[in-house]
Amino acid sequence: MKLSEDDIYRTSTQFNHWSFTTQQLAAQRLKTNMQATERVKANVARQRAQRLQQAESDSLSSGVENGSGANTPLPDRSSDVKEVDCLTAEEELMIVDEFCERALALGAHCQFPTEVTASCVQFLRRFYLYNSPMTYHGQNISRTAMFLACKTENAHQSVETFATNFSKTTAEQILAPEYVIVQGLRFQFDVKHPFRGLKGGHLELVEMARGSYEGPNNIEDGMTSADLQARMLTLPRKAHEPSAKTSMQDMEKRLTSAYGFASHILKNAALLTDAYFLYTPSHIWLSSHLLADEPLTLFYLSIKLPSHSPLYIKLLSTLRSCAALLSSHRTFNAQRSPDVDAKHKARVKQLIEKLKSCRDPDKVDLVKLNQAQKRDAVEGEGGFDESKAKRRKVERETYQKESDNFWGPELPKA
Amino acid sequence: MASPVVLSPRPNPPGAKVDPVAARSKALAILASSNKATRSPAVAPAASTPKDGDLDLAEQMNDDVRRQFVSGKRLGEGTYAIVYAGHYRHNPDALVAIKKIKFNAEFKDGIAMDAIREIKFLSELTHPNIIKLHAVFSTKDQNLSLVLEHLPLGDLEGLWKNRKLTYSGADIKAWANMLCQAIWFCHENYVLHRDIKGNNLLIAADGTVKLADFGLARSFADPGRPMTSNVITRFYRPPELLYGCYHYGGAVDMWSVGCVIAELAIRNFFLASETDIGQLATICDHFGTPTEENWPSVSTLRYYVAPSQQPGIQKGSTAAKMGKPASWWRGTFPLLGEDGVDLIRGMLAMDPKKRLTAKQALEHRYWTALPRPTKKEKLPKDAGGEAKAAEDLKRKGGETPANGRADKVARKLDFASMG
Repeated sequence: MKLSEDDIYRTSTQFNHWSFTTQQLAAQRLKTNMQATERVKANVARQRAQRLQQAESDSLSSGVENGSGANTPLPDRSSDVKEVDCLTAEEELMIVDEFCERALALGAHCQFPTEVTASCVQFLRRFYLYNSPMTYHGQNISRTAMFLACKTENAHQSVETFATNFSKTTAEQILAPEYVIVQGLRFQFDVKHPFRGLKGGHLELVEMARGSYEGPNNIEDGMTSADLQARMLTLPRKAHEPSAKTSMQDMEKRLTSAYGFASHILKNAALLTDAYFLYTPSHIWLSSHLLADEPLTLFYLSIKLPSHSPLYIKLLSTLRSCAALLSSHRTFNAQRSPDVDAKHKARVKQLIEKLKSCRDPDKVDLVKLNQAQKRDAVEGEGGFDESKAKRRKVERETYQKESDNFWGPELPKA
Repeated sequence: MASPVVLSPRPNPPGAKVDPVAARSKALAILASSNKATRSPAVAPAASTPKDGDLDLAEQMNDDVRRQFVSGKRLGEGTYAIVYAGHYRHNPDALVAIKKIKFNAEFKDGIAMDAIREIKFLSELTHPNIIKLHAVFSTKDQNLSLVLEHLPLGDLEGLWKNRKLTYSGADIKAWANMLCQAIWFCHENYVLHRDIKGNNLLIAADGTVKLADFGLARSFADPGRPMTSNVITRFYRPPELLYGCYHYGGAVDMWSVGCVIAELAIRNFFLASETDIGQLATICDHFGTPTEENWPSVSTLRYYVAPSQQPGIQKGSTAAKMGKPASWWRGTFPLLGEDGVDLIRGMLAMDPKKRLTAKQALEHRYWTALPRPTKKEKLPKDAGGEAKAAEDLKRKGGETPANGRADKVARKLDFASMG
């Protein structure tokens, strides 16, 4: 009477709703991108038309000639004709990746437990499968996703305390997109991480190295734990090298360093790629360990599964493809050339600049949007009267202006 | 009944007044205002309105879910949630309970922890003895609605309290077994329930017992990470938590399970006290004050006091040094029989390390010994349990009904330090 890890994983929301093939992921991202692009274009066009109309009616009603007395400056007509240059799906993904990296840095800065930051990053990746950064800016969403992750991972702190982690951020700004996010996550808050699996595997390997492993083994019938230990201490140091005798102390050191490197991968590359969407937590930690120390990992696998079984072969090929994904990430190589980083940063900066001109104007100020939604819920019963509509219109225009400034600190002030 | 206007997938045209019919009741009005149209006038200027149906993909998915259900009459309202009867739109016979989490003005931190926990764990746990979460959706006024399994026959506490109902040892065995399977499944999934008690064990139309209310649940902590000791309704709280223990596992739930089975057998609360200190006194009087000999390292717990200082139930008394003798157990729990007494004593071991795990409990001889557990369809049923079930669902984790003896057990979780 025991549920296998597999049984549990197969009933999880992560498996049933957040596991994809690469093709499915690409198709979904494209769909999200196309829908967002259409909306941004429509909303920008509407806003321009409306500003124009507003300006005209203002100048008419005030009766001032040439419009010189109008409060609203006339929009630049040349921009009216220019089509909004939206992000492509690929560019969106780069921006999402960037905000995931920033979330990692934020988590480290706030000293949150690993699983809080890790869940936050997965929340972001899940959220942006169905939402575009053009609609919801990564900065707004990532703060709130982190706040939500604190709640789901038992590290809850009050929103006021949480907000002190940021300069110039109010509790209200943190809370405003919370519903948007939980909806985007389809109300699924459980993220299954590979951290505990890695720790467990590491502890088992340590037992094997010490000759005290009592679990099942598939290498040979009748192997004692001492036999296993002896076998382990003659493993080659690297893949494709001849076997080499190792002392128990050296083996323990080797295990510790493999664990350290695998753990680094789990906390970086595994989070910052699509690994969670494409592979299970066990795949991910085993792949990381494979990258850290191939002979040890293969030895471990051969204990768990007969190494000539079709399952073993299939598993190894999955692990190798997962490992390829993980090692393809920029953070994988600690000694990467500064060039790579610089190029990457320049590209990201350019995209974030581009994003400024293609944001959905309806979703810029989430605080006001959130207030409007809550207010409507209360007032919805009574319908709308003229003065309310007018007041909202004014409010809306004000916040749009404010937000133009808010999100564009690098832009020259108008 | 739900107005078709309100639940129509095509909302009112933008800018139009909300149909006054929709305002008939608050619940319906709130559903109505979730329609895109009523929101549009606020953000959409008069000049041109964004075309309807211009929803995010996530909003569309949410609406698709919401439209699958029809909300019916209100079954009850609590401080935390309102519960409605409901059913699937495509099949009016597929009943559900819709638990709408109220927006809590007191909780300033956004979506309440109870709701987050309940949704998080129920989404993952699928088991015949755990309440099924069919779906979750939100309405535009930012209320979450949990679509839960329809469990109309009350709860285990209601069963033993209902004096018109008689039941046998075989019936208890059947209920207890379903409870043990539920908690075994939670623990296999690395989930601690942390609020097991009779009124969180609801009963389905076919008599199946279902564990509900995951508002205090959490996953097992990593070794060494502290958890709050301030969980589990007092009557069901194990001694290590009363002693202020920060590190625990499934054993805390097993103590509660033992209490629930004992209650079924004596048709009364088993270990009941009005204060935490009194609770510990009650426990010590029944089981003897623990010592380093019978519970190694108990003296390192924050609130532990040595047997000579441990107060008993009687004012000014010292708690029993020894637990109740076997004869007392046999005499108190005749419905459980020898094996049943052995089982609950295993679950009620003071030292959590010696307590039966859920797996061990399920392997106990009690289940296979005679009498056989009653078949579900033959179990005695509490008629008119629907209102009671709604009462149970709308409560917040840890709350207890105001009319029961447990009304003073309200607790607060110490969120600041740990979960």
